[in-house]
Amino acid sequence: MKDELVRMEHINKFFGRVQALNDVTFSVHQSEIVGLLGDNGAGKSTLIKILSGALRADSGEIYMHGKKVDIRNTTDAIGQRIETIYQDSALVTQLSIARNLFLGREPLKGARFLDRLDQNAMNEVARQLLKRVGIKKDIPPWTPISALSGGERQSVAIARAMHFESELIILDEPTNNLGVEETQGVLRFVRNARDSGHSCIFIAHNIYHVFQVVDRIIVLRRGKKVADDIDPKRTTIEEVERIITGMALQGDK
Amino acid sequence: MRIASFLQRLIAAPEFGPFVLLFGEIVVFTALSPAFLSAGNISNMLAFTPELGMITLGMTLLMTAGEFDLSVGSVFGFAPIVMWTLYNAHIAPLEVGFLVAMVIAAFIGFANGWFVTKLKIPSFLVTLGMLLVVRGTALYVTNGFPQRTWTATSPLTGIIVGEFRIGELRIYASLLWFILFAVILGYVLTESKAGNWIQAAGGNPEAARARGVRVTHTKMALFILTAVISAYAGITSSIRVSAANPNSGTQYELEVIAMVVIGGTALGGGRGTIIGTVIGVLILRMMRNGIVLIGVPGLAYNIFIGAIILGMMALHSWLERRHHAGT
Repeated sequence: MKDELVRMEHINKFFGRVQALNDVTFSVHQSEIVGLLGDNGAGKSTLIKILSGALRADSGEIYMHGKKVDIRNTTDAIGQRIETIYQDSALVTQLSIARNLFLGREPLKGARFLDRLDQNAMNEVARQLLKRVGIKKDIPPWTPISALSGGERQSVAIARAMHFESELIILDEPTNNLGVEETQGVLRFVRNARDSGHSCIFIAHNIYHVFQVVDRIIVLRRGKKVADDIDPKRTTIEEVERIITGMALQGDK
Repeated sequence: MRIASFLQRLIAAPEFGPFVLLFGEIVVFTALSPAFLSAGNISNMLAFTPELGMITLGMTLLMTAGEFDLSVGSVFGFAPIVMWTLYNAHIAPLEVGFLVAMVIAAFIGFANGWFVTKLKIPSFLVTLGMLLVVRGTALYVTNGFPQRTWTATSPLTGIIVGEFRIGELRIYASLLWFILFAVILGYVLTESKAGNWIQAAGGNPEAARARGVRVTHTKMALFILTAVISAYAGITSSIRVSAANPNSGTQYELEVIAMVVIGGTALGGGRGTIIGTVIGVLILRMMRNGIVLIGVPGLAYNIFIGAIILGMMALHSWLERRHHAGT
């Protein structure tokens, strides 16, 4: 077993009187792809938002490489090399691909006080990245995001995660609203990410997609973790569905 | 093939429509009135244009960041009042008065930014309030009377708006300052990291913030910039016309915003162009000048301005939709 990358311990989160997460503990290892499943309202998104800094837990700890970290906002999460790709990718649609890739971490050239963007470098890196994430069409890096399709936008967000060498990439419903080929592109990316040493948490409604790529499946139900070592190679989709919906059979409490 | 794609990109540029309009305007006015391109008339147009133009430059960056400022006209009127009142009352030399006026303007911009970013009040309401506060202060401290400005003998007045001649053209130094500001702010918007942040702050502030862009700082800085540049424009104007009138600058805010959006900057933020703004300034100033020259009653001016705004907005939205067809 590889080293542990991230561990969330005893996470609780309330929204008013509703307990969205109830003492959830789980971990992700290096170069591991974890699928996070659960029905609507099971707490998947809440859990992920806590890890990516969009929400704060009411109690509980987060560890990276065994060290306790404080993730108060999305900038902190990115600082811990946790990158989140939402279904509606957080891109600025008016800006070009290259400008989005480097937003917040722009390369500069020339004297510091000139604050001058190194646009050649940005375009060059963007061009290579687009190729790596499997955009075959020749899209110039200065194309605004608004001119791209949903899948292409997703790819740009993925390219950004790859370039800044995030250790943990969270994909929250990345295949929603995507065409068949674009979905294959995202799944291919997830497999490649593992090979290049990244870890992923993959959230999707579509269990078939999850089964195709993940090493391990964690299931949440009503804010509680009900399974966390389901091996997709030795379990059937029907069994997992039963665990998700709580129609308990063998092996489930 | 290459030329065709170059042309396509040219036509798709937000500055293209305004540029065609400006060109058409020059052709029509020149054809109808030979005096339009005379040295005297060009000198006239170039006297006031830089003063209004400077405000539009600040406003362009601010609107690209998704905010706007209705208090620019009031600051334009108020800053020279501060400077000349301090000077005329023998409280401070002119240079110090100038600095005090600029600092107060910066504070007004800061206050605008603070209300908008910290209290999350829309900039429309905040700067509408500030418009009234600043104008009211200008009227109150002067009792509504203009301040004398012709007694000053300071090199500062020459630097800001000194007059010189090129052939038959009479040029004010303010034109050179306007060009310099336009070049600097154009560079900031398109070439610098700050420009990337400005566009991102206006385009998708949440996404920008998630990437570590300091959206609040960026907007705050732009509110301050807009107020300071408006104050500078107002001081320029007061020296040139030899009067600091507490009412000057009234309703400039709307003309300035009109110039910016005609130039192709998006009202909702995310996209802005300094070149387009300069073209927008020229379109409206030439229109005001030209329709009088060709004999249209000056009172009809607003009809043309309104028509231009509606026409350009229709063009921009049509280009936008065509550009995004198929996505």
